[in-house]
Amino acid sequence: MSELTQSSAPRRFIGGQLLGSSQLVLGVILAVLCIAISIAAPQFYSEANIIAILRQCALVLIVASGMTMLIITAEVDLSVGASLAFVGCIGMAVLNSTHSLTLGLLAALAFSGAVGLFNGLVVTMLKVNSLIATIGTMMMLQGGVYLFTREAVQNHHRLAGFTDLGAGYIGAIPLPVVVAAVIFALAAATLRFTTLGRYLYAVGANERAVRLSGVRSQRLKLFAFVVTGLCVGIAGMILSSLMNAGQPTAGRGFELTVIAAVILGGTSLLGGRGSLLGTLLGVLVLKVIDNGIIILGWNQDLQMVVPGIVIILATYLDIVRNRANVG
Amino acid sequence: MSLASTDTTKSGPSMLARLVARQEVALLLCLILVIAFFSFTAENFFSVRNITNVLGQASLALTAGIGCAIVFISGEVDISIGSLLATIALPLIIIMNDTNSLVLGISGALLFGLIIGVVNGYLTAYAGINSLIVTLGTMFIMRGGVYLYTGQRAIPDDAALDSFIALSDGRLFNVVPYSAIIAIVLLAVFAYVMQHRPFGRQIYAVGGNPEVARLAGYDVRRVKFICFIISALLATVAGIILGARVGSAQHTAGLNFEFQVVAATVLGGVSLAGGIGSLTGMALGVLILQFLSNGLRGLGLPTEWQLVITGMIIIAAVAFDEAKRRRAIGV
Repeated sequence: MSELTQSSAPRRFIGGQLLGSSQLVLGVILAVLCIAISIAAPQFYSEANIIAILRQCALVLIVASGMTMLIITAEVDLSVGASLAFVGCIGMAVLNSTHSLTLGLLAALAFSGAVGLFNGLVVTMLKVNSLIATIGTMMMLQGGVYLFTREAVQNHHRLAGFTDLGAGYIGAIPLPVVVAAVIFALAAATLRFTTLGRYLYAVGANERAVRLSGVRSQRLKLFAFVVTGLCVGIAGMILSSLMNAGQPTAGRGFELTVIAAVILGGTSLLGGRGSLLGTLLGVLVLKVIDNGIIILGWNQDLQMVVPGIVIILATYLDIVRNRANVG
Repeated sequence: MSLASTDTTKSGPSMLARLVARQEVALLLCLILVIAFFSFTAENFFSVRNITNVLGQASLALTAGIGCAIVFISGEVDISIGSLLATIALPLIIIMNDTNSLVLGISGALLFGLIIGVVNGYLTAYAGINSLIVTLGTMFIMRGGVYLYTGQRAIPDDAALDSFIALSDGRLFNVVPYSAIIAIVLLAVFAYVMQHRPFGRQIYAVGGNPEVARLAGYDVRRVKFICFIISALLATVAGIILGARVGSAQHTAGLNFEFQVVAATVLGGVSLAGGIGSLTGMALGVLILQFLSNGLRGLGLPTEWQLVITGMIIIAAVAFDEAKRRRAIGV
């Protein structure tokens, strides 16, 4: 309950709010990383590299925006990686047969939204633990995508608009980054400034209390599942545009990267606590590490090892800081 | 949550109704149903050879599932076991190649598993970090470590010791695979500990209600710490069996293994909330999924359909169980 009041109480100082959250730790980690990498490799601060980092952040941030909402309601979705691959294949197949970008995007969103809806209904109506329900969906999607297509769905339509989805620019900023920024801003505004957002926190912190006060808690969770699904649809289309094909093997382990970023950002798996600003920092930390490993010419397999250490370390530092605040 | 565990013993009109209400009995009926169905539909399903084969294949998930279930019952989760499977194959195969000694290789692997268990357990129980985060982290670290060390190439088992190969190929009296016997013995030992030894009760108490367990004088942290060590050591044993089966250390070994084991464990009625479930249930869950996938293959369905159907069955089974539980407590 204290978590609930902490997150939804009116905030007095922006500075105090930053200091009072795990985002401070993350901000420091990010700053240290950026300084250390740029000392070792000055090209880190080149415009091209910063745009490359942002572009890599975009996919994760889009899905992580939905996932943050979902984890705040104390649920989780492990099927996003499998769904990401499936959406790319379906979107590309529809594009190939209709030559319409709108229809392709709609098909992708309809599919991924339906996956989110299915997950949400299983969790809210059948009361299946979301970790298990979405492992089940993950298996169904992994099997289903191979039944749908055994090999990559190639780009036969050559629509310029589709290529722009991944490679286009608005001014100097890549289109995926703009899309990610818009989705991030929408999600952050929903969580922070709307009644809906406050209810999402409340459902995660104490679902029973929310239900007893007359709010349909199940619908809120359903909403978060569908939003996460739709985010996957957008990310899936951008990914298939970047690869210029719908790959059934894409998105392996993507769910873990997204969840790692959200957790790293200080969102509690128990629900009721977290913020999108934290998620943004979490995504940035993970992707700056990835980028640093490439720029420094280290073995790319370190891209798995280092995030593992960072997730544990950041969570531990957060616990230590909380203890210091309390005691 | 803890309400649910008491209601089956208290009430219930008839003996039969009470028996069917027990999770393990319902699961056993499911297992018999699955076996009966495929015996009629799939060719060569109901043969000694096929059934012992399935037992051998199930030995990996059975062994690791014991640890998974124990950690669940203590109120935590361990999703690092899939990566652990790949990691411990390195010391196992490398030491055997260097020394030609199975004992040294297995000791090295167990020592490695022990270290991982201590790390997972310490970070969760003593440093107080959420176990999903800890084991997600060690999962990444170990998988990345294996990729780094092997350069994404398999390390072959050059020693090819007969005793090691027997772990996957050997059969007692030419019938039951040794790997299945290892799993069954481990299962029996740990089921006994969980039901009849004080330590088993402590694990249930700690997972059911840590505060009450603490007030009852149990060392909650120590119990959880030991559970993670047990889990890592059992996953190590599964990794040794897998190493014998594939005859090399593979960097992709055990990918998604943790999800399969978690799914089977939950299917077997072990609650993620802690304090509820039994190893017998977990074992039945593993066997149901294993016989199912074997039977579907026997029907000539491709692996993709097996994945789809397994996913659906996991969701349906847990949903059914949840509905039953809610009716029992009258919600």
